[in-house]
Amino acid sequence: MIPFNFVYYRPDSLGAAAEVYEKLRREGVSAVYYAGGSEIITMCRAGAIEPRAVIDIKRIPECMILSPGDRRMTIGSACTLSQIGESRMFPLLALSCGRIADHTNQCRITLGGNLCGSIQYRETSLPLLLSDADISLYGPEGARDVPFHSVFDGYMRLKPGELVVAVHVPVWALTAQCAHMKKTANEKIDYPLVSVAAVWRDGCLRIAFSGVCAFPFRSQAIESVLNDRTMTRGERAQRAACLLPAPVTSDAEGSGEYRLFVFRNTIDEILEGWENGTL
Amino acid sequence: MNTAVGKSVRRKEAWDKVTGRAKYTDDFPIAGVLSARLLTSAHAHARIRGIDISGALALEGVKAVLTGADCPELFGPLTRDRPALARDVARYAGEPVALAVAQDDYTAERAVRLIRVEYEPLPISLTPSQSLARGAPLIHAQVNGYRKNAPDIHPEPGTNIAGRYRIRKGDSGNALRRCNTVVRQRFFLPPSDHMAMEVRTARAEISSGGDVIITTSSQSPYSVRNELSEAFLIPAGKIQVRVPFVGGGFGGKASVMPEILAFLASRRVGGKPVRLTMPREQDMAAAPGRIGLEADITLGASKDGLIHAAELTYWLDCGAYTDISPYMTKAIAVDCTGPYHVENLSCDALCVYTNHTYATSYRSFAHESYTYCIERTLDMLADRCALDPLELRIRNAIRPGSLTPTQVECTAALTGNLTECLNRVRQLSQWNGGIATPIKKDTVRAMGVSCFWKTENPPTDAISGALVTCNPDGSVNLHTGVVEMGDAGQTHLAQMFAEKLKIDTDKVHVVMPVDTRTAPEHWKTVASLTEYMAGHAVVRAADDMLCQLRAIGSQALGCPAEEIEVAHGRLYSIKNPERFIALKDIVRGYKSATGESIGEPVLGRGGYMLKGLVMLDPETGEGRTGPQWTLGAQVVEVEADRKTCTYRILSASTVIDIGALLNPESMRSMLAGGMAMGISMASREAFSYDAGGIPRLPNLRTYKIMHIGQEPDYRVDFVETPDCASPYGVRSYAEHGIIGMPAALGNALSSAFGRQLNTLPLTPETIWRTRAEDVHDTL
Repeated sequence: MIPFNFVYYRPDSLGAAAEVYEKLRREGVSAVYYAGGSEIITMCRAGAIEPRAVIDIKRIPECMILSPGDRRMTIGSACTLSQIGESRMFPLLALSCGRIADHTNQCRITLGGNLCGSIQYRETSLPLLLSDADISLYGPEGARDVPFHSVFDGYMRLKPGELVVAVHVPVWALTAQCAHMKKTANEKIDYPLVSVAAVWRDGCLRIAFSGVCAFPFRSQAIESVLNDRTMTRGERAQRAACLLPAPVTSDAEGSGEYRLFVFRNTIDEILEGWENGTL
Repeated sequence: MNTAVGKSVRRKEAWDKVTGRAKYTDDFPIAGVLSARLLTSAHAHARIRGIDISGALALEGVKAVLTGADCPELFGPLTRDRPALARDVARYAGEPVALAVAQDDYTAERAVRLIRVEYEPLPISLTPSQSLARGAPLIHAQVNGYRKNAPDIHPEPGTNIAGRYRIRKGDSGNALRRCNTVVRQRFFLPPSDHMAMEVRTARAEISSGGDVIITTSSQSPYSVRNELSEAFLIPAGKIQVRVPFVGGGFGGKASVMPEILAFLASRRVGGKPVRLTMPREQDMAAAPGRIGLEADITLGASKDGLIHAAELTYWLDCGAYTDISPYMTKAIAVDCTGPYHVENLSCDALCVYTNHTYATSYRSFAHESYTYCIERTLDMLADRCALDPLELRIRNAIRPGSLTPTQVECTAALTGNLTECLNRVRQLSQWNGGIATPIKKDTVRAMGVSCFWKTENPPTDAISGALVTCNPDGSVNLHTGVVEMGDAGQTHLAQMFAEKLKIDTDKVHVVMPVDTRTAPEHWKTVASLTEYMAGHAVVRAADDMLCQLRAIGSQALGCPAEEIEVAHGRLYSIKNPERFIALKDIVRGYKSATGESIGEPVLGRGGYMLKGLVMLDPETGEGRTGPQWTLGAQVVEVEADRKTCTYRILSASTVIDIGALLNPESMRSMLAGGMAMGISMASREAFSYDAGGIPRLPNLRTYKIMHIGQEPDYRVDFVETPDCASPYGVRSYAEHGIIGMPAALGNALSSAFGRQLNTLPLTPETIWRTRAEDVHDTL
C-alpha cells in the first residue's frame, strides 16, 4: 500500500514529458519518471520516497523501440527485461536480464528503471559498459546522444528532469563471445554477491562487475591483470581482488571477506572457461 | 475391508483452494470497517521517553491512536509478561509501540508515520550467552513479578532466566568418567521466521450488547477467547471467535497477538469493527518467530559406539517475552536425547530472555533445533568410533523397556519401532555408509542421517469435542473446533467418522470454519494432535450416533439392538439383512409404513479429555507430558563443490512410524512439506541483526525461502506400529517431516566438506567461514 496521493501523468512524447517535469518542478512538486514501477512501489511502501507525481513514459514511442539496425541496435528504456530477453538480439544483455528478480518482475522491470534505480546492483549496466554502447537522453534542455560510460560511473548521472530514452549497442557486441555469471547467497533468485559480465573483443577480455562494491563497475586495471597470461589464473584472480575501485560490500547477503572469496572463484571460473574454450 | 480409513481421500477443501475460491480472514468485506496500523519500536531496547501523537490525531479520518498508556494489561499464555503496546520500555526492535485507527488502511498508515517517539537507548543482549553473562542488562527488572498461568514455570530473580527444567536419570558424572569415548560440542542456532503465506490478521467488533466478536487467522480460537476473557475480565461466553481457513500457521498463529490489538482498537472506537492486517515486514519483526538455541552437548560411549551417558545443556533464546517458550524449553528437556537408549543423563534446559523478537511455537515445538545439536554430535561420535553413522544409531535406538529421559517406559505401542525405520531409510535413500564420494574434480556426493522423535506437551487437561448432525440424504455434518490450515486434519476426521458408520467419506461433510459459539472446544490446532484428540472425540460421536441408530432400528425392525448393523448407508438386522432401512429414512427419526413415528432425530456427540499426564518432577524431571511418541529416520543427500563451498540437495528421505496410515497421499505430502520447510530453514533462513539488534531487512526480498525448482527428490515411506490407545492406531505426524532435516543436511555437508558444521543456516558462507576458522585454528 502506498499511503499518500500522487498525480499520474502519461505524456505521449519526449517533449511533453520534459514539459510536465518542468512544470512540476516550478510548482515545487517532486516527480519521478515511471515505467515498470517495481522499485517506486517498493520504496513508497517502505516510506523511503514520497513523490507527489509520477510521469509514465510507456506511451513515448522512442522509449519503446526494440530494433536491430545496420550499425547499432536500439533498445528503448521502457522495454522490459523479459522483452529484451525474448528478443534474443543481444545475448549478453539477455543473460543479465534473465537473472534479475523473478519472471513476474522481469515482465515489469524496465531497462531504464534498472539503470536509474537506487538498488545498488543495476546489473543491466554491465553489458552496456563492455560493448561501447551509447545512450540517448532527453530533458528540459533537449536531447543528447553520448557514450554510455560518460554518464554512468556506477550511477546514472542525469541532469535534473532528464530521462533515459534508449541505448544503442554496436553490432559487433551482438555476436561477440560473452559470458555471464551470477553468484548468490544460496537462493537462485536473489541479489548478487557477485555478478559478472564478460565480452571478448580481438582476443581481449572485457569484464564488469556488480554486487562486489556499492555500485557496478568496469575496471581497466582489473582487465589488464586478467589479460596478462604470464600469471596463473589464481594469481590473476588474487591480484584483481586487490584492485577493486571501492571497499567490498558487506551486508545481510554476505560479508565482505566472503564476497572476495566468491569474486576470486568467479574470476577463476571465467578464466578457466576461457582457457579451456568451454564458455 | 475399510470403507474410508487407509484410502487416499482427497482433502475436502481441495477444489476451493486450487481454484482460489477459499476465503481467508481478510477476504470478507464488511461495511463500515475501520483500519488499524502499528508503529513498532526502532530500537532493540530503549526507554520510551515520550510519544507525540498530536500530528497523527490531527489527520482527517483518524479515529484514535493508542499507546502503552492505554492498556495496562499484560498478556502471555504461561507468564503474563507482555504488554499489548510497549509501556515505558521497548524490549525488541519491532515491538508494537502505538496503534492508529482510521477510516482506511491508507489513512492509518499515514497517521503512523506522523507519530513521534522519543527513545533513550538501553544496553542490549542478543544471545542467551550474552544474557547470562555477568553484568548483562536485565531485560525484565523483575522476572518473577509476573502473574503465571501454570505452576511449573520458575523464572530466576535477578537474571534473564524465564524458566528452567531439569532431567536427572542415573549418574551421568560417574558414567561419563568410565566412558572411553567422550564427545563434547557447542552449538549456536539463530532465530528465524515461520513465513506463513497469509500474514497475521484479525478483526474485532463489540456489539451494543457487549458481545465481543473476533474474526482471526488463528490456530487457537479458544485461547483467543480465554486470554481476552481473563485479561479484560469479560465473561468467556460473551466472546465469539471465528476462524475461516488459515493460510498457514506452522505454530506461529497459536499465539494470541493481533486479536488483542484489534480488540483494543475496537473498544477505543466504541465497538466499531476494526481490522488489523500486519504487513509482511511487521509479520516478521513484530509478531513472534522461531526460537534461537545454544547448546552444550556431551556424549559418552564405549568403543563399540554404545552411549552410556549424556550431559546436555540447552539455552533457548525466547526473545523479549516468553509466550509459549517455557514449554518449548520443557519439550526439549522431555525428549532431550533424541530416540536413544541413554541410561545416565543430566539435562538442564533454560529459557532465556534476549532483545530479539519474541518466539512462539514453530512446527515441531523446538524439536527441529535440539535435534540438530544431538544428531550432529552423534555423527562426531560415529566418526570417533569409526562406525557407519546409521549403524551407530541402530545400536543405540530406543527399544521396548528403555526409559525415556522423563523415565516413561517404552513399549512398541507407545514409542514405535526406530530400528525398522532406520533399516527402511537405508534402502529408501540407498545409504552409502556416510562416506563422501568424489564424482568429479572438486565435487563430492555425501549423505547424512538423522533420527527424530517427539511427544507432546499439552496442558494435562486439554480437551476436544465433536458434534454430528444429519441431512435428509443420509449424509452427516461434522463440527469440530479444529482449524483447517493446510494439514487435511478435518478430512482425516471425516474418514474416521465414515469408517465407524461404514459410509463413504463423501457422505461426511465437514464444517471448515470454526466458531467458538457453535463448534465444540478443541484445545488448539497444534502439536499434531488433531487425529489423536479430535479423533477420539469423533469416534465417540460416531459410537453415540450408532447407539441411537440401533435403538431406533431395534424398534423399527422389531429385533434386539445388538443385532442391528449399520453399513453402506443402511441399517439392518444381521439375522435378516434383506430387511433394511436406508440411513436417510432413519437419521431424522423413523416413520413406519403406517405413519407411526419411531425414535428421535439422531445427534452424535463426543467429548475427549487427555488422561494420565502429569507435571514433571522439578528435581528429576520424572513424569509423562504427552499421550504418545512418534519417531522416524531421515536422510539427505547432497552434491557439494569443495572449491566454492556451494552445494545442491539431491534427495531427502523420511521413514516414519506413523502407527497407521489413515490417508497415504495426504500424509505423504504433509511429510514432504515438513521436509521442504526443514531444508529451506536449515539451508538459508535466519533473522539477521545488526550490532544494535535491529533486524536487517525483514522482508521477502532479502529473507529467502526455498523456491520451486531447487527442491530435491522427496522420498517418504511408512512403518506402521499401531498405538493401541489412539483412534485407529494413528500417531501424530503433521509436524514431524521437519525435525531431522536440518541435522541430516548438517551431517551430509559436514561429511562432504570434512568440517564440523555447528550452526545454522548452512549457507555456502557458513561452510566457507567454518573452513577458514578451522585453518586459523590449526595455525
